Amino acid sequence: MAAFTGRVLGRHQAAVVRIGFGLVWLAYLLREWPHRRVLYGDRSPWSMDLAQRLLAENGAFTVLPWFGGRLWFELVYHLAVLAAVAVVLGWRTRASTVLFLVTVLSLQNRNVFLGDGGDNVVHLMAVYLVFTRCAEVWSLDARRAGPGRVGVVLWAVLGAVLAVCQLGDFSGESLTWTSPAFPYVGWAPLFWGLWAVAGLWWVLGRLRPDGEPRAVLDALANMIHNCAMLVIAAEVMLIYATAGWYKVQGSRWQDGTALYYPLHLDYFTPWPWLSALAGSALVPVFLISYGTVIVQVAFPFTLLNRRVKNVLLAVMMAEHLGIAVMLGLPVFSLAMIAADAVFLPTGALLWVEARVQRDVVRAGARLLGQALRDLERALRRREDVR
Amino acid sequence: MADSTDTPAGGRVWSGPAQLVIGLAGAALLTGTGLFLGAVFLHVAPANSVSRQYRAEVDGVVYPEFEQNWKLFAPNPLQQNVSVDARVRTVAEGGATRTHDWTGLTAQDIAAIRGNPAPSHVDQNLLRRAWDFYDGSHNPQDETLTTARGKLAEEYLKRIALQRIGRSVDGERVLEIEFRVTSATVLPPSWSGEAPPPAPKVRELPWWPVDDEDYRGLG
Repeated sequence: MAAFTGRVLGRHQAAVVRIGFGLVWLAYLLREWPHRRVLYGDRSPWSMDLAQRLLAENGAFTVLPWFGGRLWFELVYHLAVLAAVAVVLGWRTRASTVLFLVTVLSLQNRNVFLGDGGDNVVHLMAVYLVFTRCAEVWSLDARRAGPGRVGVVLWAVLGAVLAVCQLGDFSGESLTWTSPAFPYVGWAPLFWGLWAVAGLWWVLGRLRPDGEPRAVLDALANMIHNCAMLVIAAEVMLIYATAGWYKVQGSRWQDGTALYYPLHLDYFTPWPWLSALAGSALVPVFLISYGTVIVQVAFPFTLLNRRVKNVLLAVMMAEHLGIAVMLGLPVFSLAMIAADAVFLPTGALLWVEARVQRDVVRAGARLLGQALRDLERALRRREDVR
Repeated sequence: MADSTDTPAGGRVWSGPAQLVIGLAGAALLTGTGLFLGAVFLHVAPANSVSRQYRAEVDGVVYPEFEQNWKLFAPNPLQQNVSVDARVRTVAEGGATRTHDWTGLTAQDIAAIRGNPAPSHVDQNLLRRAWDFYDGSHNPQDETLTTARGKLAEEYLKRIALQRIGRSVDGERVLEIEFRVTSATVLPPSWSGEAPPPAPKVRELPWWPVDDEDYRGLG
């Protein structure tokens, strides 16, 4: 109980998940930048009219229909890029994760017939991340001493924007307080709740930084974080368990030829010679097919044993790297790796941190030294000329 | 965030009201988390007695934002290459109509994917999933709708093709469009000893009229 209320469990893992999904979505947005208008914008074959007919049925959240048109779309798309950058850097994370959520949902729900498993997992994590304290380490927020003035300004601006959206007719049914069906809550309580809590946190920090109310808020935030981390971990386990258990029933997985087939699908063979090579021999195809099912089914149970879990984690990350190249699914694979990262051992993460710090310091020192030497040489040459 | 405490709760003695708030919030959070995970579990599990009983509640939690399909390559991986082709009928100034050759829409996608380390969703998912959407909402025998969303699928598929073909071909205005879809089962591996699959199946959709409205926003 003390750990549940008093500690941010898995703070390094939360940071890795934040950075991972921020990078995946950022890379995706930049990669698709030339195609953005066809995918989600004014040039989409899934016209705004079609989208709105579907949205009226399923009630998914997106701000894009609010104004339609190119300008609004471009604004949202580029805000999505900025939000992803902020999430990666851990800049004003309480606000940037919410913007990340809004932009991810807005773009993906504009056309739900575009995504694959990668988009699906980004979508879910965008929601879960909002509830984590994912900027405790490896973030700009963690490096800053106090709340600073920017935070207050950002809070006020976002509050004003939210109020305009809430009161304006353009937002239609997207920012309601309740919903007609179970669980009867709309989006407004979430957004206003987060906004109010951020304000309360700041006010208490100014008035009574060591007082009990703020400590209670801190404990509540820890509990919410810990629940969200549990949800993220459970989500990853569900993904593998589902993928594994349904395969057990498949005749192709049973006869050990399953791997061969995706390697011969036109849509997933960017390198046909490589795919043909990988699917050419009986025994490797059998071993990888069976190995995949075994690993996916086994993974949730290996969490009981650290060492076995870590080995399997490494195997799964390697398999996803293989999928990224072989099946031409880099975004999907990187998203899965980012999700797997929630199970990385803290020791390994700290080791990476130390290494990166050392290398960055070394590289920085080398660059600085080089720059100084160049400068010195340039100055000397100038004197020689004189 | 930097100033959040990381000291064990034992370091602070909570007052009565604080204990109450933390206790209640903790209980609510754990219950909520448990129910949420339960709903997601029931959503991905095979249909069962519990998920049938609480179907409305599970669907209420999961749709629209927590929908998930993790049957990745399961129970069996896809074993068919589906190619969508389209052809158009155009009308000349004088009123004479002409039927043009098939355009390989899927072939265009494949060409864009080949040798590309990071294929775009435009090439890998747009048409492929639009066809899945159409296929899932139509009867393959007579192309009638099986769900109300089928109409949307038709319009979507039509617009994808029209965006690539354009308003006119050889200077003649597009009047109608037709789709042809070929499903070829992947040849089993040489060592499997299985009989070769049947010849590719060709499915032809009816001609659909094309008007200006279909081109709206296609650029």
